[in-house]
Amino acid sequence: MGVLSTLIRGLVRGADRMSEFTSKRGSRTHNKGRGARPAGLKLPSTKFLAIRAMIPELVVPPLDGFKLRPYVSYRAPKGSEPPLTAQSLFDEVVAPQIKKDFEAGTLSKDQLEKYGFEPTQEGKLFKLYPKNYVR
Amino acid sequence: MRLTALLSMAARVVVPKDYRYGTNRPWTVAAKRLNPPGKRRRKVFVEPIAPEEWPVLRGDTVEILAGKDKGKQGKVIQVFRRRNWVILEGLNTHHRYIGKTPDYRGTYIASEAPILLHDVALIDPSDRKPTEIEWRYTEEGERVRVSLRTGRVIPKPVVERRDGIVPQQWKDGPKDTSTEDALEKTYIPSLKTLEEEVMEKLGIQENRRHQRSYWY
Repeated sequence: MGVLSTLIRGLVRGADRMSEFTSKRGSRTHNKGRGARPAGLKLPSTKFLAIRAMIPELVVPPLDGFKLRPYVSYRAPKGSEPPLTAQSLFDEVVAPQIKKDFEAGTLSKDQLEKYGFEPTQEGKLFKLYPKNYVR
Repeated sequence: MRLTALLSMAARVVVPKDYRYGTNRPWTVAAKRLNPPGKRRRKVFVEPIAPEEWPVLRGDTVEILAGKDKGKQGKVIQVFRRRNWVILEGLNTHHRYIGKTPDYRGTYIASEAPILLHDVALIDPSDRKPTEIEWRYTEEGERVRVSLRTGRVIPKPVVERRDGIVPQQWKDGPKDTSTEDALEKTYIPSLKTLEEEVMEKLGIQENRRHQRSYWY
């Protein structure tokens, strides 16, 4: 609407060649998508076969007794927790176990898997690198 | 190219070097009416004040030292650094008609005129009289304004939010998390990702793995 009103003012003539040609412009029969991921297969008989696994499904855990809500009150002050880093996570989760085993004398460098060390990302569903999950 | 040039003209205003800044912002219609491109006016001389030395902030209470409303105290509404101007609420006013149409004479309102920073002085909170100000550092290292007559520190005015919300007087709605719930620390650090934890909790087992794929 803004583009057309500037045209009507008579200062500039002609079609708008520089804006992006989206599915909102063009005629009714002009069918253009906005980049959605396919949710199935296009069959050779011009039919579409929807595959259940390709359609995204939201998995929500049960929220009974969940106290957090969409918005936060204005009265809440800024939090004082330091941002979570890999170093801090290691210090909280892994370091105490290693220290305990070292003091007991059972620490061995070949058995680092029990502390969470992963030598390869093969065979894992959610790989850390290359990252294949959204969050 | 012509249309994008036209539309980008509204976004960013290029102002000539000898532009005379007024009370209207340069991109508004009123400012373009008063200062059309190509208009040259006599130069106004503005005393250069360093940004760190600027004493008056929006929301401060100041007293007028010279002019029509000499001796009155008011709150600062707007500050114009380019011209060293300050606009106080309801002071140094002249009256004019606003919203005039061919059949209506318009509403008669009082509009404030800007006052030079030189004709205005900050008020000492202890005796409520105008004083000279200096910027000094406290013991903690904080930079504050100190009144030269009494040595009292003048605190910075409370910045009001544009939407008028006062955080301390906010009443929680049905969709608001309360303060205690928001500040509660419930994170248990673990080496699992969020997806792995949710799968474990809901008992979902996924034995299929991604196919090997390549992209170029």
